[in-house]
Amino acid sequence: MLLATTCAAARGDDIVDLAARIDGLVGRRLVTEKVTAAPVADDAEFLRRAFLDLGGRIPPSTRVRRFLADPDPDKRRKVVDELLDSSLYVVHFSNVWRKALLPETQADPQTRVLVPAFEAWLRQKLTNDTSYAAMVREIVTVPLTGAGTLAEIPGQGDRPSPLAFYQAKQIKPENLAASTARTFLGIRIECAQCHDHPFDSWKQNEFWSFAAFFAGMERQGRGGFLATIREVADRRELKIPGTDTSVGPVYLDGSRPRPTQTRGARQLLADWMITGRNPYFARAAVNRLWAHLFGVGLVDPPDDFTADNPASHPGLLDLLASEFASCDFDVRFILRAIVASGAYQRTSRRTDPSQQSPRLFSRMAVKGLSPEQIFDSLAQATGYVPTAADRQPAGPGEPGSVRSEFVELFRDESSRPIQQRTTILQALALMNGGFVADATSLDRSRTLAAVVEFPALGTGDRIEALYLASLGRRPRAKRLAELVAYVDAGGVTKDPAAALADVFWALLNSSEFLFNH
Amino acid sequence: MTPFPRMSRRQWLTLAAAGAVAAPASGWFGRVAHAVAASRRRRCILLWMSGGPSQIDTFDMKPDHANGGPFRPISTTVPGLQFSQHLPKLARQARHLAVLRSMATKEGDHQRATFKMRTGYLPQGPIHYPTLGSLLSKELSDGTSPLPDFVSVAPYRFLSPAAFDPGFLGPEFAPLIVGDANPVPTVPDAPTDYSQSLRVRNLRQPAGIDAVRVDARLKLLDRLEADFGAERPDVPVRSHRTAYRQAVRMMRSESVAAFDLDDEPAVVRDAYGRNQFGQGCLLARRLIERGVPFVEVSLNGADAQMQLGWDTHQNNFDTVKRLSSTLDSGWATLLADLGRLGLLESTLVIWMGEFGRTPKINPNQGRDHFPNAWSTVLAGGGVKGGQAAGRTTADGTGVADRPITTGDLLATVCGALGIDAEKQNVSNVGRPIRLVDPRATVVEGVLG
Repeated sequence: MLLATTCAAARGDDIVDLAARIDGLVGRRLVTEKVTAAPVADDAEFLRRAFLDLGGRIPPSTRVRRFLADPDPDKRRKVVDELLDSSLYVVHFSNVWRKALLPETQADPQTRVLVPAFEAWLRQKLTNDTSYAAMVREIVTVPLTGAGTLAEIPGQGDRPSPLAFYQAKQIKPENLAASTARTFLGIRIECAQCHDHPFDSWKQNEFWSFAAFFAGMERQGRGGFLATIREVADRRELKIPGTDTSVGPVYLDGSRPRPTQTRGARQLLADWMITGRNPYFARAAVNRLWAHLFGVGLVDPPDDFTADNPASHPGLLDLLASEFASCDFDVRFILRAIVASGAYQRTSRRTDPSQQSPRLFSRMAVKGLSPEQIFDSLAQATGYVPTAADRQPAGPGEPGSVRSEFVELFRDESSRPIQQRTTILQALALMNGGFVADATSLDRSRTLAAVVEFPALGTGDRIEALYLASLGRRPRAKRLAELVAYVDAGGVTKDPAAALADVFWALLNSSEFLFNH
Repeated sequence: MTPFPRMSRRQWLTLAAAGAVAAPASGWFGRVAHAVAASRRRRCILLWMSGGPSQIDTFDMKPDHANGGPFRPISTTVPGLQFSQHLPKLARQARHLAVLRSMATKEGDHQRATFKMRTGYLPQGPIHYPTLGSLLSKELSDGTSPLPDFVSVAPYRFLSPAAFDPGFLGPEFAPLIVGDANPVPTVPDAPTDYSQSLRVRNLRQPAGIDAVRVDARLKLLDRLEADFGAERPDVPVRSHRTAYRQAVRMMRSESVAAFDLDDEPAVVRDAYGRNQFGQGCLLARRLIERGVPFVEVSLNGADAQMQLGWDTHQNNFDTVKRLSSTLDSGWATLLADLGRLGLLESTLVIWMGEFGRTPKINPNQGRDHFPNAWSTVLAGGGVKGGQAAGRTTADGTGVADRPITTGDLLATVCGALGIDAEKQNVSNVGRPIRLVDPRATVVEGVLG
């Protein structure tokens, strides 16, 4: 999609302009609510946050040093461009989109077999800079059948494919309808599956009519999620369970598709979702991006656009949605603009008692990291060299991969980033587990060994190096003086090298390291 | 206040000499040395049935009606009280069980019903209601247990995560969760090693790092936390602090031996059932013995699957038969074992899911969601067992006598545990919230 690239690149001014309009809308609300905004984050805080949000891991210490020394007033924008053009972005956002599009893989271990092919497909799309709309169209219209025949699609192997979207929903029209509405439009209609929706306007009949877009699919034989799928192209009616009523496909706005020989119901559904006329599609997507960057959506929970769950900043949501649609659904354009805003660049320190509600964006909230972010950041900080198995998208708990063990332990399907809870088991693993033990062992840790063995460094420089590698910043004077004293005295073992290991252990176990802030 | 109270070197050496995981439990007949049976404190075990269990195929049989299905009732040790033929062991424990047959709860959607049954409230705007285990363990705790006050075995949280969360009570009241992350066995049909999946890993410091050095490290960490946390009152930061504090307390306690199920004789482990739920029940007993006030064990499927196992829209009877067998061994053995240890009088066992199943059998031999007239069970401490309270109609489609709301059930639970149901906690929006909806009334005749 050359179009999308030029769109964003040629619109540097548009990015600045959109960021300013974001700040106007966020700022106006802060004034109304009498809330004082926190000051802008310093360079180290910004760099670490941008790396985690866009690249999925903390910055290497060499990059931190270079960034802090760089006098260029435009360096924040440049590092964001650098990140969004890197393979870090591709890998991280494949993971982010996979969790959003296949939430089943977070909860049900059996569906994790679907992850590699799906993430591989996402990586391909992100590498090619495919627009969000084109990506969604591919998912919704993925071929399940040959031209008019009952061709079978082998849904297995790690061949890049979005088929997992269908497999994870077990090809059931009701699951596909509920997920399509929720994931791409932010609408929860599934309550209407069994009865009229208790607090919104969806009726049972409307639910099943929407489900009828997916009426013609079936799984053949055994094989669970990986069973062969076939599609009966002209079957477009569904019987509402427990009734004698059959319904054909109807869009959620009440209009009806007119399938033809060449454009089946799913193609028409994709057309309807993606056109500018559908107000939900772009809003759901930009809200998700906002939630990714701030830990809380403008509509929150991010996939719950219901009448009784209004947006915190409706004007801002509309603005981002219309900009997204007018730039051919270019995700990176929206990311650039939000990250350039003052709202995103505020410090996470609470500097005024009025900074209470995370929904006003008066300071950056502290966000939990995904399991992948934690592992990749630990690897970055400690100089761990990932194995081939570590580099693959996490499949179904393959034993042996250090990364997949970590991902399993830190998997958290239940809480939202700003409410993420550390479990006792996670604390134990970080304090006593093999990975951190190796990382803080003089024999086995690359980072620590380099810091300890590098000649002609003062104790302060060594401690600073450990801070830069883990927290991405320099220690403050008072703390540094204490730590220098601790290390020079050799800690409890009377061995300065071991005392440096103690400092590194504390840094890796600290909440400043383990969270995005 | 420092989150990591330091131990003297002598204390550490004493602990180390005891082998850190000291005092192998004596299992079936004996009692662990530090058991607190003499205490009059009450404890609670929640057996949570993910998906909503069928009342007609378990505790409210309708053998004379078409809705009754193929299962036959059997007599229990209590005259007049009948259970399903697939619960023979529980039938022998019937004198401890009070079946509440007239639950009437309105909510028929998994997410909302799960939230309602597990918090007592419907999801409402910004208020984060705490889950039952957090709510009750807070009341039951005396603050002395080195183990967490709330342990949850294999919770399936996906559909209704907020219903499993400590909510406005905060991270201090979050559960220690074990057994929720079983990887799919890579070798098909390989037996799962449940003593591993329910174990707490990484309890010992790494080789070469002694206790004094652990203390020194924790002191360094404490300072870093003070710097960072002072200006960031966010949930993740507070939760990090709490988890580390609890983890350190556990590392220093010999009570963690509770998680070593291998200490139990094979005959005991077999009796509970060699499956996630059965071994979870055994773990619950070992935790209760060591003073943990609230343990929750989820039955999500007949094996170790994480799913809504009782959500039997299809093939209800085969599934319920298998689940019943798992349930019967785990639960009945738990009651017998608690009884033998003298802990049953002080331990309330709650059995419930989010709703019941439709009396009418659907064309897929399934039963659908049904909140209008269904069953829960209270057993053990504070409960007058050997009875059924409330009654449903002959076809099972409605309540004939004494509709029991979620609040009524929870008020009765509080009564059995000796907790004041009207006590208030301050919620995250500053409004005081009672433990139980004040309109609720204790179910008559159930408290012992």
